[in-house]
Amino acid sequence: MISFNRMPLLRPRSVLIAAAFALGACAAPAPRHGVPLEPGLPRPSFTLTDTRGAPYEFGRETRGVLTFLFFGYTNCPDVCPVHVANVAAVLHSLSFEDQQKARFVFVTTDPARDSLPALRTWLDHFDRTFVGLRGDDIEVTRVMSAIGLPPAVRGVSGPDGRYEVGHPATVIVFTADDSAHVLYPFGTRQADWAEDIPRLLRVRPAKEH
Amino acid sequence: MQWWCSASGKPWTWDPQFYPGVWVATAVLALVFYAYARRARAMGASRLAYWLGWSGVGLVWQALDWPVGPLAAGYLQSAHALQFLSLALVAPPLLLVAVRKPLAASLPTAGAAGRMAALLTQPMIAGVLFNLVAIATHMPVVVDTLMPSQAGAFAIDVAWVAGGLVLWWPVIVGAPARAWFSVPVAMLYLFLATLVHTGIAMVMLIREFPMYAIYELAPPWPEWSPLEDQHLAGGVMELAGAAVIFGIITVMFFRWSGGVAGDVAPPAPPRD
Repeated sequence: MISFNRMPLLRPRSVLIAAAFALGACAAPAPRHGVPLEPGLPRPSFTLTDTRGAPYEFGRETRGVLTFLFFGYTNCPDVCPVHVANVAAVLHSLSFEDQQKARFVFVTTDPARDSLPALRTWLDHFDRTFVGLRGDDIEVTRVMSAIGLPPAVRGVSGPDGRYEVGHPATVIVFTADDSAHVLYPFGTRQADWAEDIPRLLRVRPAKEH
Repeated sequence: MQWWCSASGKPWTWDPQFYPGVWVATAVLALVFYAYARRARAMGASRLAYWLGWSGVGLVWQALDWPVGPLAAGYLQSAHALQFLSLALVAPPLLLVAVRKPLAASLPTAGAAGRMAALLTQPMIAGVLFNLVAIATHMPVVVDTLMPSQAGAFAIDVAWVAGGLVLWWPVIVGAPARAWFSVPVAMLYLFLATLVHTGIAMVMLIREFPMYAIYELAPPWPEWSPLEDQHLAGGVMELAGAAVIFGIITVMFFRWSGGVAGDVAPPAPPRD
């Protein structure tokens, strides 16, 4: 698939940024993996359609909850299924209580092929609680732009009509303080997630600061 | 075109791929084997041993070439385990049993080469070497570093075949091992020498998360998670490995206890 190696949000890891994150998160231990974001990215507000066909207000539905946001598509041959599966595997290893404190939201960058049922079926392979969102190309591009991500790019169709879609290969994690302080690019392993997710769960909501 | 199977990062396809390096390596092995096998036949080796040797050549080829080779190189850890068993535990004894007499005759006995040959064929040294190869080639840092490159994947495959030949040499070829390496001791040697690979299999079975990035981050195999694949790999190494080793130990035991002298039984080491 096509992926963006350099995105505006990505900055080199640094000790200072990690320290700033640790302070900003009320002394919750800093994640050990991923790419730190400084300043933190506020949880965005947007509305797309979920797999039941109902409007899903991202900001309201996920407020104060550890949220994994990923943009991808169900025909993705490699990055999307691997990235989503790795998060799912680690979430499944958590206690039931901790699982309830996390949401995974997948926004399709290929609405032409990803119908709501197709999206639901694909996500169910990983976890039935994962949220699938769909909007038209303009809506999704607007959401990605608001977060600071480059827009998805549709590749050239092959002889069989199949095509790939270029999209950011990062999972953005919003913590309970309604900010994202770290991005997880493709290549993040289950062991990395297993180390970081408990730390991310310990970030307290902003109102408790 | 790739000359050797290594991780490609592309989704798996059942379209056959051609790996020239695999064919060249197999051709070289076949030529060397043929030269020794002719001499072995002239020295009285059985027809069964001859064809067992050719099946060893075929097994090496199948383990390295499409589809097992590329699957093992970048998609399935279970294929990687199957490849290890084929190249290190099964093919070497098949090859050695067919050509043990000319191999024993051609082994240098004098000078530095002779001392080196005597050292490498000592059971204790051979067992330690095989286990060092098994441990090193299953360390995550080694696998994840070497497997993505053709040269690295080739190095691991060669290390397995070489390690297998060293492991099996004292049991099948014998010379110039000492006379005390009798059949019961050989059976004990095989059992002990393969305990480490059993341990590696156990690690694969009990780990909570995938060990190797190359398989964890590979284009996914339908309906098969990397962890399930890892558990399968551990099972293959554990059960199939045990089946191979204990199968051969059983054959050795019955041949020994029945007093049958066949091609598989260790020959009497040549003495001065």
